[in-house]
Amino acid sequence: MIRVAAVGDIHMGPDSQGTLRPSFEKLPECADVLLLAGDLTRHGTPEEAAVVAREIKDLGVPVVAVLGNHDHHDERPEEVTAILRDAGAHVLEGQAAVVTSDGARIGVAGTKGFGGGFVGRCAGEFGEPLMKEFVRYTRRCADGLHGALKDLEEWNCDVRIALTHFSPVPDTLAGEPPEIYPFLGSYLLAEAIDTGGADLAVHGHAHAGTEHGMTSGGVRVRNVAQPVIGQAFHVYHLPGRSG
Amino acid sequence: MTDASSPLTPAAENLDYRVAHLAEHLASGDCGELGVRLELRGDTVLLTGTVPSTQCRDDILRTAREELAGHPVHSDLLIAGTTSPDHGEDLT
Repeated sequence: MIRVAAVGDIHMGPDSQGTLRPSFEKLPECADVLLLAGDLTRHGTPEEAAVVAREIKDLGVPVVAVLGNHDHHDERPEEVTAILRDAGAHVLEGQAAVVTSDGARIGVAGTKGFGGGFVGRCAGEFGEPLMKEFVRYTRRCADGLHGALKDLEEWNCDVRIALTHFSPVPDTLAGEPPEIYPFLGSYLLAEAIDTGGADLAVHGHAHAGTEHGMTSGGVRVRNVAQPVIGQAFHVYHLPGRSG
Repeated sequence: MTDASSPLTPAAENLDYRVAHLAEHLASGDCGELGVRLELRGDTVLLTGTVPSTQCRDDILRTAREELAGHPVHSDLLIAGTTSPDHGEDLT
C-alpha cells in the first residue's frame, strides 16, 4: 500500500510560520510522500515562499509541489520555485518526478493548470487574441501534464498521480457558485489525465468546493484545498503494483 | 421604467458596487484574499469562508467594516484547520 498525503491552498504569510510544521512532522508515521497542490503563498513573494520552505524542509518524506495562481501574483514564480527546491521539494510544471519509499516508486506529474470551464460550458479558442490566449494557455498546461504522465508510464512506477492546482472536473467544485466554474478549472486537464493515465488526481484552488470527484475516464479526483479538508493534510491509501 | 416615489440610489452609495469594490480590495490587500464570500442579506453584508490565520480574519473584518460603514457586517469567517488526520482514505 502506498500512502499519499496532500494539501493545497495553505496561503502562508509572515504570520503563518510554524502553524503546519507540528502536523507535518508526523508525516513519516502516516505517509510516503507529501503533495502540495499550489497556492502555497498569498502573493508569491520570496519572503512568503521562505515561510513555506521552512515549514517543509527536512520532513522525512519527499515533497512534490505545483504552484498556484497566488504563487504567480508577484510575477516571480521562478524565485518561488527556486526557494522551494532549495528546501528539498520537487516543483513541477509540465514535468514528472519519481520518489521512492520502501522500494515503491511513486510517480507524480504536475502542472498548475488554468481555467476555461467544463464540457458544454466552457470558453473556446475563438475571437479576441486575449480570449484565444486564455484557452491556449490552459491547453499548454494540459499538454504538459499529459506528456509528464506519459513519461511516468515509461519509468516503471507503482502508482501515477496527477497533481494540479486548478480542477480537472466540476464534481469537486460543488459548493462554489456555478458562475465561476470556468475560473476554477478545465476539462482539458481531465482529458489529459484520462488519456495519459493516472491512479489519482489531486488539486486545490476551490476553497468552497468538496473533496471527492471522478473524471469521466474513472480516475478518482480529490480537492485538497486546506479550507475543504479542514486539516493540515489528508492521506490517501493506494494499492502498490502488487496490490 | 422608474418609480418616481423611489429615486435611484446614487452609484457611490449603491451597496452592490461597494461590496464588489470591497472584494477587489481584499484580493489586492495584505492577505491576498479571494476565498471570502460577500453576500447581501437585505441591508446587511455576511462574510463567509475560511482564511489562513486570525490576523487575516481580523484584517478582513476591519476592512469590510470600514468600507461598508453604515451597513451591518456579520462575519462567519473560519480559520483553516491545522491538525493532522487520524486515518487515511482507503482507495485500494
